[in-house]
Amino acid sequence: MKDSRRRWLAMAGVGALAAAAGYGVHLWWADGQADVPNAAAVEALLTAPLKDLEGGSKAIESWRGKVLVINFWATWCVPCRKEIPEFVKMQESHGVRGLQFVGIAFDQPQPVRDFARELGINYPLLMGGLDTMALMRESGNKAGVLPFTLVLDRKGKVARTHRGVLTEAALEGIVRALL
Amino acid sequence: MRLILVLLFGVACIAHGAEADLLEPDKAFRFSARLKDARSIEVTYDIAPGYYLYRQQFKFSAAPAEAKLGPPQLPPGKMKKDEFFGEVETYRGNLTILVPLEVAEPKPSVVTLAAVSQGCADAGVCYVPHEQKARLQLAAGGTATGAPPEPFPAPERARAGADDARFASVFAEGFWVTIAKFFGAGLILAFTPCVLPMVPILSGVIVGGGGHVTKMRGFLLAALYVLGMALTYAVAGVAAGLSGAMLAAALQNPWVLGAFAAVFVALALAMFGLYELQLPVALQSSLANASNRMRGGQAAGVFAMGVLSALIVGPCVAAPLAGALLYISLSRDVVLGGSALFAMALGMGVPLLAVGASAGALVPRAGPWMETVKRFFGVLLLGLAIYIVSPLVPTAVHMGAWAVLLIVTAVFMRAIDPLPPNTHAFDRFSKGIGVIALVVGIAFAIGALSGGRDFLQPLAGLRAGAGFPQAGETPFQRVGSIAELEGRIATAGKPVMLDFYADWCVSCKEMERFTFTDERVRQRLGALVLLQADVTANSPEHIALLKRFRLFGPPGIVFFDAAGREIEGLRVIGFQPAHKFAAVLDEVLRFQRTASQ
Repeated sequence: MKDSRRRWLAMAGVGALAAAAGYGVHLWWADGQADVPNAAAVEALLTAPLKDLEGGSKAIESWRGKVLVINFWATWCVPCRKEIPEFVKMQESHGVRGLQFVGIAFDQPQPVRDFARELGINYPLLMGGLDTMALMRESGNKAGVLPFTLVLDRKGKVARTHRGVLTEAALEGIVRALL
Repeated sequence: MRLILVLLFGVACIAHGAEADLLEPDKAFRFSARLKDARSIEVTYDIAPGYYLYRQQFKFSAAPAEAKLGPPQLPPGKMKKDEFFGEVETYRGNLTILVPLEVAEPKPSVVTLAAVSQGCADAGVCYVPHEQKARLQLAAGGTATGAPPEPFPAPERARAGADDARFASVFAEGFWVTIAKFFGAGLILAFTPCVLPMVPILSGVIVGGGGHVTKMRGFLLAALYVLGMALTYAVAGVAAGLSGAMLAAALQNPWVLGAFAAVFVALALAMFGLYELQLPVALQSSLANASNRMRGGQAAGVFAMGVLSALIVGPCVAAPLAGALLYISLSRDVVLGGSALFAMALGMGVPLLAVGASAGALVPRAGPWMETVKRFFGVLLLGLAIYIVSPLVPTAVHMGAWAVLLIVTAVFMRAIDPLPPNTHAFDRFSKGIGVIALVVGIAFAIGALSGGRDFLQPLAGLRAGAGFPQAGETPFQRVGSIAELEGRIATAGKPVMLDFYADWCVSCKEMERFTFTDERVRQRLGALVLLQADVTANSPEHIALLKRFRLFGPPGIVFFDAAGREIEGLRVIGFQPAHKFAAVLDEVLRFQRTASQ
């Protein structure tokens, strides 16, 4: 009896050690491999003229000096649409403190206009093209997934990148330190 | 005890966690295209589990302008309710789309298809519209034939089923699919000659330790052995992959091989009962007092044997190993690469676990049966020792050694003793096998003495006087550095085959002996410039050459077209039999024809 218990203990120990080692390797690796945004690409993204929904052209840098939340999305992307109502709410509540959302859609202008009206989007929406897509990939999103959100501080430096849906609570935590 | 395995798989899972699981779009939506007939292109998407594509979002275009596409025939998808768009149709799993094709005069020889697709992952992200390209070859004369699909828009590349590329591409799938495939590969490898000899070693260690062997204990020891083997693979694979070192070279140098052969001979002699394998008496008596500690000692020994065994199996696992190493060094995804190698070794260990678990049943413990089984294992071990040193010795010595082993075995099987009239059927059978061994052994003996060099035709040297051609010699030009190689390729004017070779490389010798000598292969080789890099010395130039081609050491064969570009996807890693190699050469020549059109 005693013998088999010792055996189990030994095995559990080996397992725990292996798990710890594996996790360590993972951390070390994930660290070295992170999808790091390229500063030059982010700068190019800020200065590139993009079409707005009225047919004019505007660059994101017009909002420089604010805490910028740049959200890449599309109407056909179901998860993207989930987070937008929360963005609208936060723009409403934090706008005066210098928080500025900018949406960049990879889409046709018409569905974007319809969607913006339906949800009452209260922040500027710009249309992304192929070159915008390339810059987005270089800005910390190599796989090119949507939604992708880039949070910049008031100096225009990347504070956080996030692939996938961002909850209000998470975003709140990120921008609180920057405002 | 089975929990160990579950646990270790679990570890790999933990280590692989979280966001990293999002696949690159090319891997989430694996694209390929081929010409179905002269007037339609068949496009297929292999969609990873948990991912889907939108039916409405496909766009196809073709270049050059002579190729016109009709409306694609999209199969009905699965309806999905969307609160904004209403109903949308999506595809999961395998998707095949037919795209009509019309080619106007002048007919181009190559049509490039560009496909844009849009899809999402259940994990809660979508991908931006993604373009993938395929290069389709139209046959001359108007009728079209399918060409291998080309996933990247690189017109100078071809794709075929090279072993390392195939194994490397396995990684493109999900984590568990990859693990499962490598486990399966391991199961298959378990039945190659390299792994089978481990059965007697293992059962020798388990039974030979003496004492009472329960099924549980047998299984535990076997599991330890397999774990030792698997961990060695994972660790060595990752280390080698990261450093790009010549793993095979390290494992196959003459001293290591010689030492293993010696170990096997020693084990074999023990099997024949020449002596008992056991611990020194002093140690044994001190251990006898604490039986628990002796168990521990044996367990450690078994584990260590497993570690050593991993090294022996090297030659058998060249292709999957090279694939995994290639993947690790390119992607630097150590966790997946290491886990895959670990899973492969576990697969190889399954039969060994069965042997261990059946400690009482498969390996009889007493009686004359046991003696027979032990002797059989002894012969196997000696055979393995010969096999291991075969790359180091001249063919004649190799053949002679087999002759000695076979003939002596035959004599012990009473091949030349008369059988008494009322002999048991088993003894008659045994004598039959013995006679066969005797005949083959004598053939080898004559072959070795008469200069035969082919194990399949040991007596060929005796045939019709001196008519036997120097079949073993293939007219290679030697290259020793990258500069030399580039010079040779630039002046070749023909497609080039570069063969990496080393004296210690078993599969290189097999290629020379069995494949390059084949008539079909020789004919095709005539159309190529043959270069060989002998990297036995492993000088800095040699290492640079290997690195240049992302190889970890020989064996490796790389092809170039007449313009000096590597024809990727056609690499041959490891031994390939003549008919397969001839098919690869056909592919090279076909590629050259279309490239020069």
